[in-house]
Amino acid sequence: MNFIRMKYTKWFNISKDGLSKNNPIMIAVLGICSALAITNQVENALAMGAGVTFVIVGSSAVISIIRNFIPARLRMVTYMVVISSFVILVQMFLEAYFPFIFAALGPYLGLIITNCIVMGRAEAFASKNPIRYTLVDGLANGLGYTYVLVLISIVREALAFGTILNIRVMPEAWTDWVVMAIAPGGFFVLGAIIWIFRELTNNYENA
Amino acid sequence: MKDYLKMVIFVLILGVTTATVLTGMDALTRERIEENQLIVLQDAILEASGITDYDDTISTFEANLEVIEAEGKTFYIDGEGRVSYTFEGLGVWGPIFGVITLEADFETIAWITVIDQEETPGLGGVVEERTYLDNYVGTSMYPELRVSRTADADDINEVDAIAGGTRTSERFEAMLNEAYQAHRDVWLTLQESAGDA
Repeated sequence: MNFIRMKYTKWFNISKDGLSKNNPIMIAVLGICSALAITNQVENALAMGAGVTFVIVGSSAVISIIRNFIPARLRMVTYMVVISSFVILVQMFLEAYFPFIFAALGPYLGLIITNCIVMGRAEAFASKNPIRYTLVDGLANGLGYTYVLVLISIVREALAFGTILNIRVMPEAWTDWVVMAIAPGGFFVLGAIIWIFRELTNNYENA
Repeated sequence: MKDYLKMVIFVLILGVTTATVLTGMDALTRERIEENQLIVLQDAILEASGITDYDDTISTFEANLEVIEAEGKTFYIDGEGRVSYTFEGLGVWGPIFGVITLEADFETIAWITVIDQEETPGLGGVVEERTYLDNYVGTSMYPELRVSRTADADDINEVDAIAGGTRTSERFEAMLNEAYQAHRDVWLTLQESAGDA
């Protein structure tokens, strides 16, 4: 299958939606809280991205499978129960096998439950589509979230600690920018990245 | 009525399924989580004994420390006779858990580590910082530790309170004293029976 034909498949369009056209952070501006809180180190951003991706894929898949049985009035409650279960699974897994990452992510791990992206995908996509498309959508949105997080954290870690993944990248004479390690630095970088991305993809909001 | 019944059944099935999955995961990971918590405690005790260069915490701990359990209290004794025990209590926002090491006289503080706390970051949260806990080293728990709010904490029983964390300091002082009293009685009985034997 050549690229031109691939552009018209549903798979391709769903992935493109999650990764760029409707990127959860840069276009929909969801999940900002965690994107600011845990992006001062690349390691944490990767762990958080993996956690959120797993929760989106898992909860969307379950909701997609049972979507015809969910009573309309219990929709939101069901999403919450399914999402929280997946978050607790991630929490237990990290606490057991990666205690240091667990300690670094702290309360933000449990707060994946309140990440609007997860709930948003459940309501907007998983509750209406068959599981094979839901899996693609969940993965695309999770990865869309993850790569933005990693981009922000690369800039922040390099400026704030002079390292990337704890490997020294800046010259010895480099003075660490403390502001990049705390939340305001996250705001600056996130704002700049959203601006550059929207400029490049010609995404303007109509007044 | 039929809709209502359907909803109840759905909720029941959802509840039972998620509960089963989570209980299963808990059973799978509990052992490792408990081991991780034990390692954190043992690391803190080893650090208090000045042992910092090692690879495997559990075997190093077993080689260097003696564990004595009596009347529900656990004492960890290192090669130089220093005694460690854990303390816990309620801080302002949540539980505080840590481990304290006393010199062989069971009075002078050799080291304190706070392992868990949920105090306000920057105020009461200072209680877990090494620079603050270093103030405790050398002070005496006997007859009673006092956390002082005046400028001159130079008495052998006095330590500076945390600036901006008065209530945390008070709770911390109370839990240290309480743990000390409880452990001291057991420790003295242990020493006596050891002397008899």
